[in-house]
Amino acid sequence: MSLFRSEEHLGRWLAANDATRGEVLTLEQTWQLARAWYSDPRDPNWRPRSRDESQAVLASVGLVGDFWELPR
Amino acid sequence: MATPDSVTLRRFVYDEILSRGQPPTAKRIGDHFGIGPSDAKRRLAALKIGKTVLAHPETGEIWMAGPFAASATPYRVVGAHQMWWANCAWDMLGVAVIANEPVRIDASCTDCKCPVTLVASPERGVESRWVVHFLLPARQWYDDIGYT
Repeated sequence: MSLFRSEEHLGRWLAANDATRGEVLTLEQTWQLARAWYSDPRDPNWRPRSRDESQAVLASVGLVGDFWELPR
Repeated sequence: MATPDSVTLRRFVYDEILSRGQPPTAKRIGDHFGIGPSDAKRRLAALKIGKTVLAHPETGEIWMAGPFAASATPYRVVGAHQMWWANCAWDMLGVAVIANEPVRIDASCTDCKCPVTLVASPERGVESRWVVHFLLPARQWYDDIGYT
Protein backbone atom coordinates (compact mmCIF):
# COMPACT_ATOMS: atom_id res chain seq x y z
CA MET A 1 0.00 0.00 0.00
CA SER A 2 1.82 3.02 -1.29
CA LEU A 3 1.51 6.74 -0.71
CA PHE A 4 1.07 9.21 -3.56
CA ARG A 5 0.72 12.96 -3.49
CA SER A 6 -2.20 12.82 -5.94
CA GLU A 7 -4.13 10.65 -8.36
CA GLU A 8 -2.05 12.23 -11.13
CA HIS A 9 1.17 10.96 -9.57
CA LEU A 10 -0.39 7.54 -9.09
CA GLY A 11 -1.33 7.43 -12.77
CA ARG A 12 2.18 8.38 -13.77
CA TRP A 13 3.68 5.69 -11.57
CA LEU A 14 1.28 3.03 -12.89
CA ALA A 15 2.21 3.91 -16.47
CA ALA A 16 5.94 3.92 -15.73
CA ASN A 17 5.74 0.54 -14.01
CA ASP A 18 3.24 -1.09 -16.36
CA ALA A 19 1.05 -1.73 -13.35
CA THR A 20 -2.71 -2.00 -13.05
CA ARG A 21 -4.64 0.38 -10.86
CA GLY A 22 -6.07 -1.21 -7.73
CA GLU A 23 -8.14 0.85 -5.31
CA VAL A 24 -7.40 4.30 -3.97
CA LEU A 25 -8.29 5.54 -0.50
CA THR A 26 -7.92 9.00 0.93
CA LEU A 27 -5.69 9.29 3.97
CA GLU A 28 -8.80 9.90 6.05
CA GLN A 29 -10.29 6.62 4.81
CA THR A 30 -6.99 4.85 5.46
CA TRP A 31 -6.95 6.27 8.99
CA GLN A 32 -10.43 4.87 9.61
CA LEU A 33 -9.28 1.52 8.25
CA ALA A 34 -6.17 1.53 10.47
CA ARG A 35 -8.26 2.37 13.54
CA ALA A 36 -10.65 -0.46 12.79
CA TRP A 37 -7.98 -2.99 11.80
CA TYR A 38 -5.28 -2.52 14.42
CA SER A 39 -5.47 -2.91 18.17
CA ASP A 40 -2.68 -3.02 20.71
CA PRO A 41 -1.02 -6.48 20.68
CA ARG A 42 0.23 -5.79 24.22
CA ASP A 43 -3.33 -6.21 25.44
CA PRO A 44 -3.47 -9.63 27.16
CA ASN A 45 -6.88 -10.21 25.58
CA TRP A 46 -5.63 -9.53 22.06
CA ARG A 47 -6.14 -12.43 19.66
CA PRO A 48 -5.84 -12.91 15.92
CA ARG A 49 -9.05 -12.28 14.02
CA SER A 50 -10.71 -14.93 11.93
CA ARG A 51 -11.03 -14.36 8.19
CA ASP A 52 -14.71 -13.46 8.59
CA GLU A 53 -13.97 -11.03 11.41
CA SER A 54 -11.38 -9.29 9.24
CA GLN A 55 -13.86 -9.15 6.38
CA ALA A 56 -16.34 -7.51 8.74
CA VAL A 57 -13.72 -4.91 9.70
CA LEU A 58 -13.25 -4.01 6.05
CA ALA A 59 -17.00 -3.75 5.57
CA SER A 60 -17.33 -1.57 8.67
CA VAL A 61 -15.34 1.16 6.93
CA GLY A 62 -17.15 0.75 3.64
CA LEU A 63 -14.66 -1.50 1.88
CA VAL A 64 -16.92 -4.02 0.17
CA GLY A 65 -16.92 -5.73 -3.20
CA ASP A 66 -14.69 -8.14 -5.05
CA PHE A 67 -11.46 -6.18 -4.57
CA TRP A 68 -11.82 -6.29 -0.78
CA GLU A 69 -12.74 -9.99 -0.58
CA LEU A 70 -10.19 -11.79 1.65
CA PRO A 71 -9.03 -15.29 0.67
CA ARG A 72 -11.17 -18.18 1.86
CA MET B 1 12.16 -16.56 34.30
CA ALA B 2 9.70 -19.17 33.07
CA THR B 3 9.68 -20.25 29.44
CA PRO B 4 7.36 -17.82 27.68
CA ASP B 5 3.96 -18.83 26.39
CA SER B 6 2.75 -17.20 23.18
CA VAL B 7 0.91 -14.37 24.94
CA THR B 8 3.92 -13.50 27.07
CA LEU B 9 6.25 -13.61 24.07
CA ARG B 10 3.89 -11.51 21.94
CA ARG B 11 3.59 -8.87 24.65
CA PHE B 12 7.36 -8.81 25.14
CA VAL B 13 7.96 -8.36 21.41
CA TYR B 14 5.57 -5.43 21.17
CA ASP B 15 6.70 -3.89 24.47
CA GLU B 16 10.21 -3.87 23.05
CA ILE B 17 9.09 -2.35 19.76
CA LEU B 18 7.09 0.40 21.39
CA SER B 19 9.77 1.28 23.93
CA ARG B 20 12.92 0.73 21.87
CA GLY B 21 11.76 1.36 18.31
CA GLN B 22 12.67 -2.04 16.95
CA PRO B 23 11.83 -5.67 17.60
CA PRO B 24 14.07 -7.66 19.92
CA THR B 25 16.71 -9.96 18.51
CA ALA B 26 16.54 -13.66 19.24
CA LYS B 27 19.47 -13.18 21.61
CA ARG B 28 17.63 -10.46 23.50
CA ILE B 29 14.52 -12.62 23.71
CA GLY B 30 16.64 -15.51 24.87
CA ASP B 31 18.44 -13.43 27.49
CA HIS B 32 15.14 -12.08 28.80
CA PHE B 33 13.48 -15.46 29.17
CA GLY B 34 16.54 -17.51 30.00
CA ILE B 35 16.52 -19.57 26.83
CA GLY B 36 19.01 -19.86 23.97
CA PRO B 37 18.75 -17.79 20.79
CA SER B 38 17.92 -20.84 18.69
CA ASP B 39 15.10 -21.74 21.06
CA ALA B 40 13.90 -18.14 20.87
CA LYS B 41 13.83 -18.34 17.06
CA ARG B 42 11.89 -21.58 17.22
CA ARG B 43 9.33 -20.01 19.51
CA LEU B 44 9.06 -16.95 17.30
CA ALA B 45 8.42 -19.15 14.28
CA ALA B 46 5.71 -20.98 16.20
CA LEU B 47 4.10 -17.79 17.46
CA LYS B 48 0.53 -18.05 16.28
CA ILE B 49 -0.49 -14.43 16.26
CA GLY B 50 -1.89 -14.03 12.82
CA LYS B 51 -0.13 -13.46 9.56
CA THR B 52 1.69 -10.29 10.46
CA VAL B 53 4.57 -11.33 12.70
CA LEU B 54 7.08 -12.84 10.38
CA ALA B 55 10.51 -14.22 11.01
CA HIS B 56 13.08 -13.68 8.29
CA PRO B 57 13.34 -16.93 6.30
CA GLU B 58 17.15 -16.91 6.44
CA THR B 59 18.07 -15.36 9.78
CA GLY B 60 15.05 -16.38 11.88
CA GLU B 61 15.01 -12.88 13.38
CA ILE B 62 11.80 -10.84 13.41
CA TRP B 63 11.35 -9.33 9.95
CA MET B 64 8.10 -7.51 10.56
CA ALA B 65 5.63 -7.38 13.40
CA GLY B 66 2.60 -5.77 11.87
CA PRO B 67 2.30 -2.89 11.46
CA PHE B 68 5.95 -2.34 12.46
CA ALA B 69 8.93 -3.05 10.20
CA ALA B 70 12.22 -4.27 11.66
CA SER B 71 14.35 -2.08 9.40
CA ALA B 72 14.19 1.25 7.62
CA THR B 73 11.38 1.80 5.11
CA PRO B 74 9.98 4.88 3.34
CA TYR B 75 7.48 5.26 6.21
CA ARG B 76 8.90 6.64 9.46
CA VAL B 77 6.64 7.38 12.42
CA VAL B 78 8.00 9.64 15.14
CA GLY B 79 6.42 9.85 18.58
CA ALA B 80 7.33 11.91 21.63
CA HIS B 81 10.06 9.57 22.82
CA GLN B 82 10.57 6.98 20.09
CA MET B 83 10.45 6.42 16.35
CA TRP B 84 9.28 3.41 14.40
CA TRP B 85 9.33 2.12 10.83
CA ALA B 86 6.12 1.00 9.16
CA ASN B 87 5.76 -1.54 6.37
CA CYS B 88 3.51 0.55 4.12
CA ALA B 89 1.21 3.57 3.96
CA TRP B 90 -1.61 1.69 5.69
CA ASP B 91 0.75 0.45 8.38
CA MET B 92 2.18 3.92 9.06
CA LEU B 93 -1.28 4.82 10.33
CA GLY B 94 -1.52 1.47 12.13
CA VAL B 95 1.66 2.36 14.00
CA ALA B 96 0.07 5.68 14.96
CA VAL B 97 -3.02 3.84 16.22
CA ILE B 98 -1.02 1.42 18.37
CA ALA B 99 1.33 4.15 19.64
CA ASN B 100 -1.85 5.98 20.71
CA GLU B 101 -0.16 9.35 20.88
CA PRO B 102 0.33 12.28 18.50
CA VAL B 103 2.95 11.35 15.92
CA ARG B 104 4.77 12.86 12.99
CA ILE B 105 5.05 10.72 9.89
CA ASP B 106 7.89 11.26 7.44
CA ALA B 107 7.13 9.66 4.09
CA SER B 108 7.34 10.43 0.39
CA CYS B 109 5.43 10.09 -2.86
CA THR B 110 6.04 6.67 -4.41
CA ASP B 111 6.13 8.32 -7.83
CA CYS B 112 8.25 11.47 -7.52
CA LYS B 113 9.86 10.79 -4.10
CA CYS B 114 8.73 14.23 -2.94
CA PRO B 115 8.86 14.14 0.87
CA VAL B 116 5.85 14.81 3.05
CA THR B 117 5.37 15.27 6.77
CA LEU B 118 2.02 14.20 8.13
CA VAL B 119 0.66 14.66 11.62
CA ALA B 120 -1.66 12.07 13.13
CA SER B 121 -3.24 11.91 16.55
CA PRO B 122 -5.81 9.70 18.27
CA GLU B 123 -8.16 12.64 18.59
CA ARG B 124 -7.84 14.26 15.18
CA GLY B 125 -6.73 11.48 12.87
CA VAL B 126 -4.73 12.67 9.89
CA GLU B 127 -5.47 15.50 7.52
CA SER B 128 -3.94 15.49 4.07
CA ARG B 129 -4.96 15.34 0.43
CA TRP B 130 -2.42 12.61 -0.36
CA VAL B 131 -3.82 9.21 -1.32
CA VAL B 132 -3.06 5.56 -0.64
CA HIS B 133 -3.03 3.03 -3.47
CA PHE B 134 -3.89 -0.60 -2.78
CA LEU B 135 -2.27 -2.37 -5.71
CA LEU B 136 -3.33 -5.92 -4.91
CA PRO B 137 -6.85 -7.15 -4.16
CA ALA B 138 -7.39 -8.44 -0.63
CA ARG B 139 -7.39 -12.05 -1.78
CA GLN B 140 -3.69 -11.66 -2.67
CA TRP B 141 -2.52 -9.74 0.39
CA TYR B 142 -1.02 -12.77 2.09
CA ASP B 143 0.45 -14.50 -0.97
CA ASP B 144 3.70 -12.58 -0.47
CA ILE B 145 3.35 -10.30 2.53
CA GLY B 146 6.72 -8.67 1.92
CA TYR B 147 5.66 -7.59 -1.57
CA THR B 148 2.19 -6.57 -0.42
